[in-house]
Amino acid sequence: MSYAALLLFFGVIVVLMAGFPVAFSLAGTALIFAFGGIVLGVFDPNFLFTLPSRLFGVMTNDTLMAVPLFVFMGIMLERSQIAETLLDTLSLLFGTLRGGLGIAVTIVGMLLAASTGIVGATVVTMGLLSLPTMLKRGYDPRLATGTICASGTLGQIIPPSIILVLLGDVLSSAYQQSQISRGIFNPKTVTVGDLFVGALLPGLLLVSLYILFIMIYALLKPESMPAASPELRQGLSGLQLGKRVVLVLLPPLSLILAVLGSIIAGVATPTEAAAVGALGATLLAISRRQLNLDRLRDVMRGTTSVSSMVFLILIGASVFSLVFRGFGGDEAVRHLLLQLPGGALGAMVAVMLVMFLLGFVLDFIEITFVVVPIVGPVLLSMGLDPVWLGVMIAINLQTSFLTPPFGFALFYLRGVAPPQIKTSDIYIGAMPFVAIQLLALCLIAIWPELATWLPEVIYGN
Amino acid sequence: MENFTAGMQSLATTLDKISQRSGEAISWLTLLMVTITCLVVLLRYVFDLGWIWLQESVTWMHAMVFMIGAAFTMQREDHVRVDILYRGMTLRKQAWVNLLGTLFLLFPTTLLILFSSLGYAHDSWNYREVSQEAGGLQALYILKAVIPLAATLLTLQGLSLALHSVLVLIGVTPGREATGTSQELKP
Repeated sequence: MSYAALLLFFGVIVVLMAGFPVAFSLAGTALIFAFGGIVLGVFDPNFLFTLPSRLFGVMTNDTLMAVPLFVFMGIMLERSQIAETLLDTLSLLFGTLRGGLGIAVTIVGMLLAASTGIVGATVVTMGLLSLPTMLKRGYDPRLATGTICASGTLGQIIPPSIILVLLGDVLSSAYQQSQISRGIFNPKTVTVGDLFVGALLPGLLLVSLYILFIMIYALLKPESMPAASPELRQGLSGLQLGKRVVLVLLPPLSLILAVLGSIIAGVATPTEAAAVGALGATLLAISRRQLNLDRLRDVMRGTTSVSSMVFLILIGASVFSLVFRGFGGDEAVRHLLLQLPGGALGAMVAVMLVMFLLGFVLDFIEITFVVVPIVGPVLLSMGLDPVWLGVMIAINLQTSFLTPPFGFALFYLRGVAPPQIKTSDIYIGAMPFVAIQLLALCLIAIWPELATWLPEVIYGN
Repeated sequence: MENFTAGMQSLATTLDKISQRSGEAISWLTLLMVTITCLVVLLRYVFDLGWIWLQESVTWMHAMVFMIGAAFTMQREDHVRVDILYRGMTLRKQAWVNLLGTLFLLFPTTLLILFSSLGYAHDSWNYREVSQEAGGLQALYILKAVIPLAATLLTLQGLSLALHSVLVLIGVTPGREATGTSQELKP
């Protein structure tokens, strides 16, 4: 029986590679296997009859309602062009420092990523805005492209992040399942809020490591990132500059803080916070005279599209896991993971490795919906902390998207980088940041408190 | 033969229009979701009021947006593909992927959902099923009916994709660039 499940898993990967939309590839391949199984008498057709109620479950999942609202907020912010002014001002502030522009790009990338949560758009925007300036100032193209790609992917880990909402939902049901399977019928829960809080310190750790790397690199190879001459500031006094910095940083920062703060303080659910954030982003766009009917339509249609894309993958993945379970795949994976040497550690390393490799071909969304429901309950029943697991998965996949030659972020940047930048420059530029990511993963593995301490302080036990 | 291909072309265009219009219309609900959720927050904190049905209406809108918007998303080429190989294919090969994918992956899925959900929604109508929450929305069967509706729209959009692909394969149209308009908006 479990051979069929194994075959299904590899079958799906082969079908996915052909390039038909992921949602239908997942569901369609699973159904072909299910029909085959029914004909051969090894698959119980009753599994398929639960399909409509599963679909209805996806439709009425309250946790995931935050997704379209965060998408709305993200697209609205992206369209209101806050990135331009942020970058202009911050490069005035840091530009006269050696490596300062690199630091400015990292910070803007972080803010943009945190507030919009959209990786592709962040990398593309930063690539269009900051790459030409960095090159003109004489920055090493490898360092410039690496910085942009790395800071662009921060949107997945720094809350409020759409990915963490998806991961939070999947992990919370995996956590329940793992406890019930161990006979705990009054299970503890893990929420999207827990995950947001847990990811905060690791996210900031990553940003600090990026900046540290740029600063050390600037010391060792000063010629790779020259400082701008002081004329850049065009006679602005320190006070004037300070005022400008506060003015541009205030709107996005207060938006992030309001959204995060209200979730952490427990006054709003993630859904409510996202809606207020979306309203805030809309007001910001209006105040910057960036909103008209066309742009509003654009934002609404983009939101519909992205939201449909995400939820159809969830539907496709739930058809897949239904059939996978019908063939006994869950049991097979459980046995496999339990048999690995090294207990929880061995299982964790194996899962992380598989996810990292899958990250080359699949998106965060697919991996969250397909792989995490299968391996999550097993790992959690071995006693791993759900928040820690979520953060590790998030950083692991973020690393995967940065890793040449398949990383998504690298493709996005390639698409907008000027032709004189060689693809190999982008690849080599990403390498040190991949190393930083792996370092961060090790740090969080050694000190799980980096992820678990803050949620415990805020929410208690 | 020429009449036949012209007929195929105009049918595909009509189907595309259906997806487009339905998606554009349903996308207004995203704005309404933002507004109503903010209203719910305001009512609770300022006026200490809370209505379950108002909150449920947001869930309904959310479900309708991604279900009914699915065909529109497909028409816009916004459903993600694993494009490592697909990107480098000739338009003819891409058309093959899309034709075979529609026939063997999309149609089985949407048709199974369509036929299994018809009974599901019909049962709900027979019982005049209402929300399980006290003070929730009444006509739950409307939300359940969204499932077969969405499956129908997706099947029609699948038919359009299949027609477009056949037209490319028999050399009538050169085929369109299959890159999504908002791929880069992915989270």
